[in-house]
Amino acid sequence: MQKKGRRSFLEIATAFIGGVLSLAAGIPLIGFAISPAFKKGESKWVDLGLADRLKNSRFKKVDYTFTAKDGWVKATKKRSVYVTDAGNGEWSVFSRVCSHLGCLVRWDESKESFLCPCHGAIFDKTGAVVAGPPPEPLQKLETKVEAGILYVKET
Amino acid sequence: MRQFLSERLPLEAFSAHLRKPLPKHINLLFSLGSLAMFLLLLQAATGAFLAFYYSPSPEHAHNAVTYISEEVPFGAFVRGLHHWGASAMVIIVVLHLLRVVLYSSYKAPRELTWIFGVLLLLIVLGFGFTGYLLPWDEKAYWATVVGVEIASTAPGLGDFVAKVMRGGTEIGAVTLSRFYALHTIWLPWLVFGLVGVHLFFVRYYGSSGTPKNTPEEMKTGKPFYPHQVFEDAVGMLILFVILAVVALFVPVPLEDVADPTNADYDPRPEWYFLFLFQLLKYFQGPFEVIGTFVIPTVGMLLLLFLPFLDRSERAVLWKRPIALTVTSVCVVGIVVLTILGGTSKKLETTDAAVQETSQPTEQIQGATTSDTETEEVEEGEAVFDFQLTEEEIEGARAVEESQ
Repeated sequence: MQKKGRRSFLEIATAFIGGVLSLAAGIPLIGFAISPAFKKGESKWVDLGLADRLKNSRFKKVDYTFTAKDGWVKATKKRSVYVTDAGNGEWSVFSRVCSHLGCLVRWDESKESFLCPCHGAIFDKTGAVVAGPPPEPLQKLETKVEAGILYVKET
Repeated sequence: MRQFLSERLPLEAFSAHLRKPLPKHINLLFSLGSLAMFLLLLQAATGAFLAFYYSPSPEHAHNAVTYISEEVPFGAFVRGLHHWGASAMVIIVVLHLLRVVLYSSYKAPRELTWIFGVLLLLIVLGFGFTGYLLPWDEKAYWATVVGVEIASTAPGLGDFVAKVMRGGTEIGAVTLSRFYALHTIWLPWLVFGLVGVHLFFVRYYGSSGTPKNTPEEMKTGKPFYPHQVFEDAVGMLILFVILAVVALFVPVPLEDVADPTNADYDPRPEWYFLFLFQLLKYFQGPFEVIGTFVIPTVGMLLLLFLPFLDRSERAVLWKRPIALTVTSVCVVGIVVLTILGGTSKKLETTDAAVQETSQPTEQIQGATTSDTETEEVEEGEAVFDFQLTEEEIEGARAVEESQ
């Protein structure tokens, strides 16, 4: 009886030590691996160029770059957007990232639509979904004009 | 030497175990598991050697792969073996799975062998997914963008999982090093662990043979060694020759370096993910999650627990009408979706123009340069880059303040 009690104690104590060791090593290791998921990205205003040069009732495909930290690298990030002032000075800047699975959409002038090359999504000129799988419209970026320069908010 | 070892190790018992007889009715399809094992070792060997030259960073990865392919002696061949070996692995593993379904080899007492086999299939697909980001070309980048976005649609933790996979909010240096670590350290550890367990069960329960075997015939066939091992070795030799010929004569594609702004690129995954790529087109709006999460997850769970769902007597597939129907529908469905995905038309848009890169510097104080370039664009869509330099922005502000 006494032996059995001692054996159970040893079993429980060994399992306890195993549990403590697993947690002591496991928590920091898991935290180490998943920490980037909790990092919040910084938002910043990025210039697209002189507003006068970008004025156009048609959509213009504009590429721009900015520097941001990518882990340990200070990287030059490239972005591509569609810009229009619709001829009335009200700026619309659409991200080209399809709201479905991240492919880049293309503006088709004859169809007056944004088309996605991956899964056939179609968005109208306001960014709303016309057809295909996306559950959300195209992302419209925040804009401002300062000193004649058009900026978009990069998040 | 033999005596030295046999005094210290149970060599006789091991030898007797290897010579245990197989079931009487067995055929060439029973070599598929060994072929998968051979391919796994080949992938491990070629991958380990490719790692001598590879560098997992966005700045160097593409150049490293180009260097391997174009300058390192036998580099194109080794990379070819690794690349085509990955495709061969998917084919062989799926055929192995179908052989098990054909002869209902997953039935008791071999349920655990099956479960670990399905887990190995998932890891093989994981190897494919993490591996094709590594060249850091257009295909690598965009297939990974789509793959990670698929994960992000999972209800609840999807977004979190996607961020963990990417190591942040977008694909970059952290993602590449993560995928490299997964591909070369985590998944190999996992795969060899699971293969060990899978093989233990295979040896412990013995080969299932075909359902034609009577209980008496289960141990009256040829010995595993050397008979079955010889047949497996011949299969491995043939497979290696095929792979070597393909690696020598079919160059492994390497597209342009990844460009996150290249919308002229039509992303397509590797052929073994094309069925999923095509499937996603059919679930729209709020039903998106059915294609991205529900069908793949439910499909995998059904596959994993198949031995507990199919309680019929052990028999060859065509004597099990329900299993035959389900298997046929799945196989035909995946093949049709793969063909549709592979032959889907690339997107053509109508907006012919020229690409322009210009700096309107003449209007701004502090401007240092004035460039205007015009360049033809293959796809014909105009691209504008009007971004200003720091000096030009300061100049514009100065102009505004002075007014």
